[in-house]
Amino acid sequence: MSQGPTPVPASEVRGRLRRLAQASPWEATQGLVFVLPALVILATFLVYPAIWTIRLSLDRGRGLRFEQWVGLDNYKELLTDDPSFLDLHRFPPQGALVNNLKWMVLYTGLCIALGLVLAVLAGRVRYERLVKASVFVPMSIAATAVGVIWLFVYSPDPHIGLLNAITTRLGADPVSWVGRESTVNYAIIVAYVWFSAGFAMVVLSAALKGISTEIVEAARVDGAGEWAVFRRILMPMISLPLAVVAVWLIINVIKVFDVIYIMTRGGPGASSRVIAYSMFFETFENGRGGYGAAVAVVMLLLIVPIMALNVRRFRSERVTT
Amino acid sequence: MKRSKLSALTLAIMLSVAATLATTAGARPDAKTGASANSVTVLSLWGGAEKDAFLKVLAGFTKKTGIKVQYETARDFLPVIRTRVAAGNPPDVAIIPRPGVLADLAREGAIKDLGTMGMSKGSLQRNYSKAWIDLGTVDGKIYGIAAKANSKSVIWYSPATFKEMGLKVPKTWAQLLAVTKAIKAAGETPWAVGAKDSWTLTDWFENIYVRSGGPDKYTALFSGKLSFADPSVATALRQMTSIINDDYVAGGIEGALGTGFVDGIGRVFGTNPDAHLYMEGGFVGGIALGDVNPKLKPGVTIQEAPFPTINARFGSPVVGGGDLAGAFKDTPEVRALLAYLSSREAGKIWVSTGAIVSPNKNVPASAYPNVLVRAEAKQVAAAKVFRFDGSDLLPGSLGEDWGTLLQNVIQKPGDINKLLSDFQKKAVKAFKA
Repeated sequence: MSQGPTPVPASEVRGRLRRLAQASPWEATQGLVFVLPALVILATFLVYPAIWTIRLSLDRGRGLRFEQWVGLDNYKELLTDDPSFLDLHRFPPQGALVNNLKWMVLYTGLCIALGLVLAVLAGRVRYERLVKASVFVPMSIAATAVGVIWLFVYSPDPHIGLLNAITTRLGADPVSWVGRESTVNYAIIVAYVWFSAGFAMVVLSAALKGISTEIVEAARVDGAGEWAVFRRILMPMISLPLAVVAVWLIINVIKVFDVIYIMTRGGPGASSRVIAYSMFFETFENGRGGYGAAVAVVMLLLIVPIMALNVRRFRSERVTT
Repeated sequence: MKRSKLSALTLAIMLSVAATLATTAGARPDAKTGASANSVTVLSLWGGAEKDAFLKVLAGFTKKTGIKVQYETARDFLPVIRTRVAAGNPPDVAIIPRPGVLADLAREGAIKDLGTMGMSKGSLQRNYSKAWIDLGTVDGKIYGIAAKANSKSVIWYSPATFKEMGLKVPKTWAQLLAVTKAIKAAGETPWAVGAKDSWTLTDWFENIYVRSGGPDKYTALFSGKLSFADPSVATALRQMTSIINDDYVAGGIEGALGTGFVDGIGRVFGTNPDAHLYMEGGFVGGIALGDVNPKLKPGVTIQEAPFPTINARFGSPVVGGGDLAGAFKDTPEVRALLAYLSSREAGKIWVSTGAIVSPNKNVPASAYPNVLVRAEAKQVAAAKVFRFDGSDLLPGSLGEDWGTLLQNVIQKPGDINKLLSDFQKKAVKAFKA
């Protein structure tokens, strides 16, 4: 019967910070020296590359060198003149940016929904460990392997493709799941959800177990049905871990690259491209370092607000782990 | 110290470290000698059977000169070579699959002018015809020597099946269509296409275009002098879709787009075939025999025929590909290796593996091990007109974009004109860049 770590009241936090701010110069220098190695590493591998990339995006950047200043031309071309990145002339809009939005909504939603359902249901059966292990196992293989496995599953040849073998047995024609523009993105998303639903399930399951059973029993005694218990008691109490999982999944999705590279190389055409793939393609296949850097900066700009929200939440008054 | 002062100091430290790095790392590091004396590093994208064949050639080189060779495979050749060049750590020699990439690297100054390394036009003329020397020439200087050649104007079929169905090998486009319809009428699927790998579609287009628009228009198109929106291009595309469509291709267009190049070979020559014709280069033979179905019998259950003519005026030009060897460093070992690769000796060892056709005109036909490669070598040698794979000639990633366009064309043949005019805009930009 655990209640979780006791939250520290805000006044206490403020008191601690005040004491820190009033540390003697000697103590503060000591602290800084301890932190210095980490600062240097962060500066070398995080701050410097970020600034370098931003500078490269304002340049033509062929051969990954600063060769010709072009100002914001790369961004202009990226956002208005590149249908494989953002195509607003068609309805519905298409392009890598739009695909990432699809990923954000579908992948995050499916992972959390599946994870939650599995966590709740698994907690009620005797073979809970078996269910959790089998759902979690895909997380232990590399995303590359996930891509290869699901390529086989989606193969349009019914002798090879599991999915088409099933559908042809049921009488339908074989479908080329990764060869069709209308299904390719969803096919890849399903593969990746299979890969990471286990993570959501494990985190949410742990969060659910942290809820004291007394509250749930009291609610049941008061006449609440299963759904009411789920909606009014369980969900609010796991809202923090749920938010953490959601943020982790969203950040993951903005950067997703490996499974698309393995399964379709962004094809057919450019219909399954995502931002990270565009960055790779433009920088390395196309040799346009500045343009690829512009894509990277756009990706950075998308992630920054989410990280800021996250950080702000961690700094909030309720200092819980 | 006050909190704001502390964070200001932290920020200052991080920025100063970053600034120090910026000023010191700004200078490009000198190319490190990746190889010790008496050895050479070679990078290419060959794996599997192609790699084994090349290693045999390198073994011959080591036996002859005593220079050791470190061979590395990079399936993702372009990204690897670009990163290594940018990092100042290129291989000594690289086998570059596209003349367009060779030209890019030459203009960036990454690869060396072979003329200054003892490979003048005169010395190369002893082993190569003009077409092959020109292929490795950028802005009048020689940067690459042709290492490997293949013909892409080849159709693969099974003579046993053709005999069963009473079909004759087609020599004209009309006959090809007739054979296609006959197979379909017999209740079978005529073609397999590996459209997931878009370069197979570009080979289809090139073979059709060089025969319907002519070799001169072909050269103009792929060097940026002819617009892609020219009506001859649309005509060739429509001819392509008269065969590559839902009726005649295994799995339909969607199935083709989900089938890769090797899987496509498997659909015709594998143990559970469901199609009978495959169009791709001479290297299909090696892959079919080596990787897909070793039980195939060349000449009996697998055979190649030249791509049929379309416009009798243009005959049967050969569209082919080849790899060019370029040097990133000038050392005596590199010079020895390049001299060896362009020699008849190396050519003989290489073709004896059945993996390649040698662009070296001094390699005799008897050196080829089986009837399939011999036929391809004969086609390449006897070609009155030879054109290099067009999409490999296009600059930057325009070749890939062209492949993407073809994938879109077979899905929506009605959009041909719009797709072509959009592509032409991209092409203009790429040729200028």
